[in-house]
This record gives sequence, structure tokens and C-alpha cells, in this order.
Amino acid sequence: MTIKPKLKHLPLVFAALALAVPSLVFANADVAKLISNPNNWAHPQGNFQNQRYSTLKQIDTTNVGKMKVAWTFSTGVLRGHEGGPLVIGDTLFIHSAFPNKVFAINLSDQTIKWKYTPVQDPSVIPVMCCDTVNRGLSYAEGKIFLQQADTTLVALDAVSGKVIWSVKNGNPKVGQTNTNAPFIMKDKVLTGISGGEFGVQGFVAAYDINSGKQVWKCYSVGPDDQMCMDGSKTMTWTNGAMAPVGKDSSLKTWKGDQWKIGGGTTWGWYSYDPALNLMYYGSGNPSTWNPSQRPGDNKWSMTIWARDVDTGAAKWVYQMTPFDEWDFDGINEMILADIPVKGKQTKALVHFDRNGFGYTMDRVTGALLVAEKFDPKVNWATHVDMKTGRPQVVKQYSTAQNGPDVNTKGVCPAALGSKDEQPASFSPQTGLFYVPTNHVCMDYEPFKVEYTAGQPYVGATLSMYPPPGESHMGNFIAWDAGTGKIVQSKQEKFSVWSGALTTAGGIACYGTLEGYLKCVDAKNVNKELFKFKTPSGIIGNVTTWSYGGKQYIGILSGIGGWAGIGLAAGLEKDTDGLGAVGGYKELNKYTELGGTLMVFSLP
Amino acid sequence: MPVFFVADETKKALPMKSKIFLFAGLLLASSMVQADDKPPYTVVDGDKVDANTFAGWKAWRAMACERCHGAKQEGLVGPSLIDSMKKLSKQEFKQIVLEGRPGTAMAPFNEAKTVVDNIDSLYAFLKGRSDGAIQPGRLQLIQDPGAESK
Repeated sequence: MTIKPKLKHLPLVFAALALAVPSLVFANADVAKLISNPNNWAHPQGNFQNQRYSTLKQIDTTNVGKMKVAWTFSTGVLRGHEGGPLVIGDTLFIHSAFPNKVFAINLSDQTIKWKYTPVQDPSVIPVMCCDTVNRGLSYAEGKIFLQQADTTLVALDAVSGKVIWSVKNGNPKVGQTNTNAPFIMKDKVLTGISGGEFGVQGFVAAYDINSGKQVWKCYSVGPDDQMCMDGSKTMTWTNGAMAPVGKDSSLKTWKGDQWKIGGGTTWGWYSYDPALNLMYYGSGNPSTWNPSQRPGDNKWSMTIWARDVDTGAAKWVYQMTPFDEWDFDGINEMILADIPVKGKQTKALVHFDRNGFGYTMDRVTGALLVAEKFDPKVNWATHVDMKTGRPQVVKQYSTAQNGPDVNTKGVCPAALGSKDEQPASFSPQTGLFYVPTNHVCMDYEPFKVEYTAGQPYVGATLSMYPPPGESHMGNFIAWDAGTGKIVQSKQEKFSVWSGALTTAGGIACYGTLEGYLKCVDAKNVNKELFKFKTPSGIIGNVTTWSYGGKQYIGILSGIGGWAGIGLAAGLEKDTDGLGAVGGYKELNKYTELGGTLMVFSLP
Repeated sequence: MPVFFVADETKKALPMKSKIFLFAGLLLASSMVQADDKPPYTVVDGDKVDANTFAGWKAWRAMACERCHGAKQEGLVGPSLIDSMKKLSKQEFKQIVLEGRPGTAMAPFNEAKTVVDNIDSLYAFLKGRSDGAIQPGRLQLIQDPGAESK
């Protein structure tokens, strides 16, 4: 159902919208309007706040068990399929893993309206550390935006699929690639860069939606001007209060020129508060994985950033893992929610980091409010000192203190973290966060590496396995971000590597690495209500929309590279000793590759 | 490997000398096969290897191959190399590593200097692992037996 207001009523409509959802008035009006219609899924994360929640309730706890496959669509591509579809009106838009095909599908009969196949040099593939995934599309003002692996950002006409503009965002020859989805904020489309394993200096960039012209570009590490940071204005949590970061706050924490190959890449999800005009995202690991080669806090890698959308100016920052020793990339999503925190109603930012801590920040000021473990097995730090904001590192699990060429054993979580990029969901209905987690530990041995542009710059060897004494490698949890507590936890055999979805129908849905789409009761996540085995393991994000009066739930099925470690590492017991034969953990003994969009509805 | 067919009738009819020549020929042929099969690595006590093989281990680490093939080459998202190396000839190995396996996650590494410069060493190291002669984990160079040990 479409509401078509008379022109004279528009101010009233906007006012009403402003009252109902205050933040939408200053956003990109076109996108905001589409997002507010629950029949659509007009943003890769559901809405600007990255909540992955739908008000649709045709499918609910009483009937989700009856869901059937409505239709399916093969992308024609194998390898990891992350992200999910966009649905706007009568058209579904879906992307694939490399070569990043884009399809526009008519929802009336599932025919292909148009198809775009980028021409990309396959030499970009060896420079992608962790499979050739792509996290999806964005839409604004009649344009579909695709961020290609080879760093080309392209705007396509949503009706015809023709290229409107295209711009190079980076250079694969120096190890730069892209896997992230682009994000619409006002009149700009924002994107980042990958390559933390290739010595890439990370950045985010904003391009004009209509012309593709670069408006601003701000780095994660280096001199203040490169980071769009003002030492007297950019604030960070310091001894229990917000204080300016000071001049050269990044340079002071690196040895020599190491920052130039310093990492801090930006391949995750970006959220946006239109009322504050701020964008929020996380920066990734410092380069290399051998910490002894980069002494210092390595600011501002592993950091939660708040930047002005128009200029990129850094308003506040908070570094979660200073001097990283474990590859706990800070790029996971920053969910914006207005929730009670320690009893006080707060404009919050909630972030489930690779390092195993769930953070709740005041998204206006950048104050640190909560930092608690969202997996009980996390052991590399005892806790976060709430005054300084610094994690208290346990010597036994410090790969730097144990030193290079020493195998630091039994660190939890493993490098893939208590959660990787797979996005969590916030349900305003329950006030809780639904988080797909990994439950994996590791041995980590750093060693010296040389930097060569375009070559891996890693410098650590890892073994990953379930926590000692346990055999399951994933949990789907419900989390209270106001208190920092796990409210409920459902075990899964393998890492839960899909993005979650919650709805007003009271369900929470996710996919498993063996390939099951599951929906549980959001009030009791251990109550499994629906389960279906799709063709391949799932690393996509569960999505919902409505068409012709019927609600649909869609998920990409197609297991991918590094995510598969969350499955493969737990398949069989490793055998030690000379000439280890038998007990192989090959992923393809458990699931094959795939590339299918599965769409479900009530019968 | 040359194959010698000797008909029964001929065997009976051949004088002793010819049989000896045949036998010698077979021996020669099999020793030639032995020479081709000589391991490309030298290993002592499971973890001390020759310089060529050591370079292969270092290249393996520098290129982070374990991200797909596992820290002990046992397979992860990519196949077990312990297994694969039993089936691949050296030529096939080089082709796969340098040119990739289209349609799979194995990318071509012919533009990676570390791989190109050390392809024979990589083969030696991985063959040693697959044969069970080289143990997983940290390796060292074989020390000169006359040298003082640290």
C-alpha cells in the first residue's frame, strides 16, 4: 500500500514523520521515505541505524514454523555470499561474490529485469585475504550503488542497469581491494578499503551521489590532517571523561614511518545518525600481525569513529584494542539505539567487537558506558578499565610479551573474534540485541615479515579450535546492552556467521555454516521455531520484505573462505606429531560452495 | 619408465647372455626411476632441513598460505596439501600454484615474487610434509655436524 500525500499536506506529513521518527527528517529524503515503508528493505542494514529490524508481523512466532520456500535464484557464482538483497517496491536487487554481478529481479514473476556484470581484472583475487565476498548494494534516488572488489565504485540506473558513473576508490597493486557495501548518507555515498593483511593505510571516503566526485577522504592512521582530526576538537575517553586527543595523537603511537603501512582498514558496516549528522564505523587491525614490529598503541587502529558526514571531521574516537596482538579488527557494525543504559535513557551506540567485548557508548559524546564480555570464554583481557578505557591484558595470552617465534597458546577468542563482520540485530520490541557469535580459541605465533607492496604482510601462524573442554563453536545470544549481560544463549555446532534479523512478529532469524536458516522466539532464543537446510553454508544476512500482501524472508546460501574456518576448524580432532595423516579438516567434506538466494513465505 | 615385454617363446629361446642383458636393462630402468623419486628435501630429526627446503617453509609463512590450507597443511577452507601432494607431480604443483585453479578459491600467484622465486623450495617443503618426513611447525636449518651447537 502506498500513501500518496497531496502536495499541500506534505509539510504535515513531514512533521508527522518528524514526530514519529525524528531522525529521518534530515536524512536523504528519498532513502528515508523508502526505509520507513516496511514493505521495502531499502538499506543493506535495514535502516541508517543498522538495526536489522522489521515492523512486518505477518510471519510470527505462531506460524513461522510453517514457512515454505517461495522462490529461489542462483547468482551463477560460487564462493562466499555475504550481505543480502535490497527490496524497493516491486524490484529485488541482489549482488554476488566476485565478479560482483548485480541483478534486478521483478518480484511479480521473478524474471530478471536487468543484469550488470562488471569486468574486473582477476589479478585482484590473490590480493583479497579472506575470500572474494561482497557485502551488498545501496540505493538512492533511482541509482543502485555497487562497490566492486577492484575498488571501483559504480552507480547504476536502477531501472535499466546502465552505468551512470564509475570511480576508482583504490589501487589493487598496493594491496587495496574492497568487500564492503557502500552506504548512503544525505547526498553522499560512503565507502572504505580492505587490505590490513597487505600493509594498506586504511581510510573512508565520501563521493557525491550524482556525480561520483570525491567529497572527502579520511585515513585511520597518520598525521592529523590525513585523519581529518583536530587535536583540540576531536575527543576521546580519558580518565573517566571526554578530553581532546591532542596533536599528532596517531603519529606519537607509531615507530618511524610504520603508520604508512599501518592498516586500520574499514571494510565493515557504517551507521548514520541524521539528527547529529554523524557517521559511525570501526577501523581494523594494525599491520603486521607481528606486534613486535610496531611498538606503540597504533592509534587509531581498532577504533570506534564518529565523523561529520559533510566533512569527515572526526568528532570522537575510542580505541578498543591498543597495540593489537591478535588481529581483533574493530570493523564490526555500530548499532544505534535509544535505550536505557544503567537506568538512564541514552542515545547509545552498541558494538560487538572481535575482541569479545560488547561496548555501549554515548553516541553523542563518545563516553564509554559499558564494556563487558559477550562470550564467557574470552581470556586475553580480564576486563576493560572503565576509567582509562583500556583492556587489562593477561600476560599469558599476550603474543607480544611472549614474543615473536613463540607459540602463544589457548587465546580466546581466536583471530576471527567472538564476532566477525556478521551483523547483529536490535529489537525495539524486546529492547535486546541478537548477536551471532563465534566460540573459538587459538594458538598464535608471530614472526618477522618484510613489506612488499601488493604482497601479504601478515607475520603470524595460527591454529584455531573450540574452547578446551567444549565442542560447539558458535552461540546465538540475546544481549542487554544497558547492563552488558548475556540474557540468553543458544548453542550452535559451528560459528554463527550470518547477519541476524528480528521482527515485530517476535522472531529472530539467522543462518548456520552447515546451511540451515533458523528462526527462534525472540523472547526465548532456545525455542527453535523454524529450520530449513539450504544448498550451502550460510554467511549472508537474513532479510525481510513484503510484496503483494505477502511477507517474505530471504537469505543468501553460499559458504565462503575465511568464514569457513569457523566450521572447518572444528570438524575433526587434529593429530599431532610427525607426518600427521588422517583427521583432515577440509571444509568441502561438510558443505560445497553455492550461490543461491532462498526466499521463504507462509504457504 | 620403459616397459620390457618379453614373449614366453623368446624367453625360452634366449641365450643366458641376453637374459642377463635384459635383466641388467630392467635394473638400469628401475634405478633411473629411483633417481627421479629421490626426495627434493633433506631432513634430519623431523625439523632440521636443507637450505632449499627451509626457504620453502619461509615462503609458505610469508605468503600466509595457511589461511586457506591450515597451519599444518591439513586443509581448512582449501584442500589438505598432505593429501594433494601425494597425487600431484612437481609440474602439476607448479602450474596450480602459479596459474591457479579457475573456478576455485586457488588464485594464481605468478605475480607474487616470493612465490615465483621460491616455487621449487615450496615444492620441496610441502612434499616433505606430505611424505610425513618433515614435522609440522617450526623448522631449522641442518647444522654442520662439525659446528658447535648453541
